[in-house]
Amino acid sequence: MALLRRKEGSGGRLLALAAIFGWCFGSVRCFGQSQDSELTFLLPAGRLECFFQTAVKNGTMEVEYQVIAGAGMDVDFTILSPEGIRLIVESRRSDGVHVVEPTVEGDYQICFDNSFSRFSEKMVFFEIIIEGQGGDVGGDEEWAGLEEPDGSLLEYKLEDIRESMDSLHRRLERSRQMQTVLRAFEARDRNLLEDNLWRVSFWSCASMLVMLCVALTQVYTVRKLFDDKRRVYT
Amino acid sequence: MMLSTPAAGLLLILAWIYPSHALYFHIGETEKKCFIEEIPDETMVIGKYRTQLWDKQTSSFLPSTPGLGMHVEIKDPDTKIILSRQYGSDGRFTFTSHTPGEHQICLHSNSTKMALFAGGKLRVHLDIQVGEHTNNYPEIAAKDKLTELQLRVRQLLDQVEQIQKEQNYQRYREERFRMTSESTNQRVLWWSIAQTLILIVTGIWQMKHLKSFFEAKKLV
Repeated sequence: MALLRRKEGSGGRLLALAAIFGWCFGSVRCFGQSQDSELTFLLPAGRLECFFQTAVKNGTMEVEYQVIAGAGMDVDFTILSPEGIRLIVESRRSDGVHVVEPTVEGDYQICFDNSFSRFSEKMVFFEIIIEGQGGDVGGDEEWAGLEEPDGSLLEYKLEDIRESMDSLHRRLERSRQMQTVLRAFEARDRNLLEDNLWRVSFWSCASMLVMLCVALTQVYTVRKLFDDKRRVYT
Repeated sequence: MMLSTPAAGLLLILAWIYPSHALYFHIGETEKKCFIEEIPDETMVIGKYRTQLWDKQTSSFLPSTPGLGMHVEIKDPDTKIILSRQYGSDGRFTFTSHTPGEHQICLHSNSTKMALFAGGKLRVHLDIQVGEHTNNYPEIAAKDKLTELQLRVRQLLDQVEQIQKEQNYQRYREERFRMTSESTNQRVLWWSIAQTLILIVTGIWQMKHLKSFFEAKKLV
């Protein structure tokens, strides 16, 4: 809202700008923008959780998921299209990557099912990358109306610079997404290792107790065989 | 400038109706949904949500639901509660992490009127932004008086800084991971040695005990 007040221009231009800005803000179809949502959530035992993502026509939707904690480290995964068709059905997988292309207009349903597990709660990480038909365009529409740098003579050079910065921005976003995926892998390994540590300690103790019990039982049994009630004479 | 107020108003209205095409999910009345964000320290997180209630008469979701609130609870990696607040049907919560690790964001509805929920379904649109995605660039441009190119460079710098922070955090986590791994290996080694020794000692004790027992019974 500050950027509107700051602009010294004619009111008509401002209104048109605001109208376009507002309309584009509401509609993804305006510019082919990439939006990614990533979430890590807790999936209780025996439950089904579904998330819905709106997609535009002829875009691409990439979904990646990983189970990062939980006893079996697996979950059932389903993607349903806006018409209700099951596009992807996976059973008891610990991770997966899927690309839906081209997408139809509407809300895609992405479901994680933990019904097969009665006691273990799972922690699931998933990431959805949605791209419009033009591919990734960049941050232009967010900052429309900012002061343009002066230099009509250098217009061509400025365009070049702008393009490289755009490309850099997109690649950095992609790096960030890769980092997120690697982080999820590391979190999963760490949880697995901590579980292992606990298991090693527990079972070592248990094993030792069992050994001692067995030893005592053996001695007791042998002694009982030679009880005073049944004297054995040499 | 007189026209800027209705323009701003129009923009505000449209921004309110369409916060973003984020993910949405359905939540039951007493259900609590928890999300985990693993973030490095000194990172800002902004969460925005919008709720819609299922209306049986029109068989669709109403755009807004007055009187319906959501309770947001955020725990830090040491399970200490850093935010526990009630928000309205549309809300925005923000926090900055002071310790690196897994922060837990839990949402549950806190409806005052039970009848509202009779339909059973509440649709929640949720958008969680972390790190440099929380920066409001038009605001930064206004404050520091930057041109468009300068702002883009600023955005790139912020992105790189965030990636660097995450990498540092990754390094710290990997160190912890390595420590846990070495601790596990050590434990396995020592327990094995201890068990073998105890086994041998128990065996010797058994033999001695039975031998003395048989000698006492005059069998040997």
